[in-house]
Amino acid sequence: MNPTANSTANATTTAQGDAFIEMRDVSKHFGDFLAVDQLSMTVRRGEIVALLGRTGAGKSTVMSLSMGTIAPDQGTVQVGGVDPSREFDALRGKMAVAFQTDRLLPWRTAVENAELGLLILNRSKAEAREAALHWLARVKLEGAEHKYVHELSGGMRQRVSLARALAVDPELIFLDEVFSQLDHVTSQVLRRDFSRIVREVGKTCVFVTHRIEDALDIADRIYVLDAPARVCLALSVSEQTRRDPRALADLHDQIAQAIGGDTESADHDPNYSENQDLS
Amino acid sequence: MSQPARTASSVTPSRLGVRAAARPAARPGRRRDLTALCVVSVLLILAMEVASRFVPPFIMPSPLVVGQAVLELLTSDWHHVSVTLLRLGAAVGFSMLVGVLIGLLMGTSRRLGPYLNSLVIIDTGIPALSWMLVAVFWFKDPEARIFFILTVILLPFYALNVYEGVRSMPKEWVDMMESFRPSRWQLMRYLVIPHIVQYVFMTTKSVIGYAIRMVIFAELVASAVGVGSRMSLAQSTFRIDYVLAWTFLLVVLNLVLQSLLNLAERHVLKWRAEAKVR
Ligand SMILES: Nc1ncnc2c1ncn2[C@@H]1O[C@H](COP(=O)(O)OP(=O)(O)O)[C@@H](O)[C@H]1O
Ligand SMILES: [Mg+2]
Repeated sequence: MNPTANSTANATTTAQGDAFIEMRDVSKHFGDFLAVDQLSMTVRRGEIVALLGRTGAGKSTVMSLSMGTIAPDQGTVQVGGVDPSREFDALRGKMAVAFQTDRLLPWRTAVENAELGLLILNRSKAEAREAALHWLARVKLEGAEHKYVHELSGGMRQRVSLARALAVDPELIFLDEVFSQLDHVTSQVLRRDFSRIVREVGKTCVFVTHRIEDALDIADRIYVLDAPARVCLALSVSEQTRRDPRALADLHDQIAQAIGGDTESADHDPNYSENQDLS
Repeated sequence: MSQPARTASSVTPSRLGVRAAARPAARPGRRRDLTALCVVSVLLILAMEVASRFVPPFIMPSPLVVGQAVLELLTSDWHHVSVTLLRLGAAVGFSMLVGVLIGLLMGTSRRLGPYLNSLVIIDTGIPALSWMLVAVFWFKDPEARIFFILTVILLPFYALNVYEGVRSMPKEWVDMMESFRPSRWQLMRYLVIPHIVQYVFMTTKSVIGYAIRMVIFAELVASAVGVGSRMSLAQSTFRIDYVLAWTFLLVVLNLVLQSLLNLAERHVLKWRAEAKVR
């Protein structure tokens, strides 16, 4: 007997409250290739929303559209009330991204990487340094502040990249498969740390992943994307659901079905960890 | 793998601890290089000594005689050495500065890039000798001649390598920077310029030997002061010991400059993990 499971698993495709990201019938082609197909979705302020889909579904493309680094062919994208690609500079300092690979600059130490966004926003050196140190501590990197990138492990690098995004104190933070390349244990620890921080500071967060468990673990709401990207399932996850293994298993199955096929089909790749940094 | 142990590095947060851990691995290789250099030098000197026993001194003097000449030159011709060094420094510095600027433009300006690129490509096809001869027509002042010759020869190396460096920059880094919405100058300052420093070092290390040879040659053609002109004088007065002594000094100069560059590089590019290929 479980009354919460049903009520929390409702589809919520309509916008309510304060919409921060609003995408309406957005399509995007790369040449002849259709990457995003009439996608509509809403992200409200203070929410953690997961974009879940197989590799190649177009999740990163949806993220770039909301970032304004690419423009849609059709439909409208609004972020904080402006078109992010047309009014590119209007959102300066309001968004930050952490990517699948850490994208740290190797000639900068951990703290120098973490303060990069602030320096670009023309904050003073002292202020940038202070914020960077603060955020490195929040992601549990005390003692590693002055190490160069090659001296850090994969998990530590990803933490620095999170600190770099959080340090600019953005209103909106995008995470593109941030945890996907890490081994399971590191990924889970980092995910928990991160969702705790995001909830504490009340940021809006768009979390891109291809792992169902990752999405269920931290998202308030989940948009499941088909390929080419369009919403094929939207659902919310309450705290109660998260604590209820049976309800979670239900949602898991529901999502797996929407993605098509068994659970493992979502490109689970536990061995794809840190072996790309042969440099 | 060159990564220091994670546990050790998290216990010693200081930069010192990390660098100390990274260094010893590089040492033995360097010592082996030095040993090899000494062995080869001694063998060459021995060969000269043996040869000098069998041929007249104006063909191959004994290394002792050459050594004497080296000492003489170092006391009497110091002025010429410093003039040559100044010319070398000025030309390399200027070529580096302008070459880097051109390389950056080639890599970042969609409009100017292709034109600069063609210009540099054409320049690389012009033989050094053509420039030397042309310089004699174009410039009266020997300093201008030498500076011109060295610059047109060295500059394309910097431009092309920096261009290559800009092009090899990962797109992911540019996207990451763009996510903060930087100005063009900030993109240069935080991403492009730091990235190309290694290319500037690489270029300098690979052209410095060539630059020494060119400055000597240019001095021989265009000037009455400097090591090149002194070597020409030694030749015309049949002093092979001086010719060999100058040669020896130039080889030493090249070695010294190379190791200074290596030292500076190791300091400036200390962020690089030293890759060991077996
Ligand atoms: N810049 C691009 N040019 C051409 N095709 C692209 C580009 N970016 C993405 N794609 C294609 O669009 C599809 C979706 O890509 P992406 O958004 O990166 O997927 P995901 O992040 O879900 O793995 C892929 O098939 C990819 O090959
Ligand atoms: Mg992606």
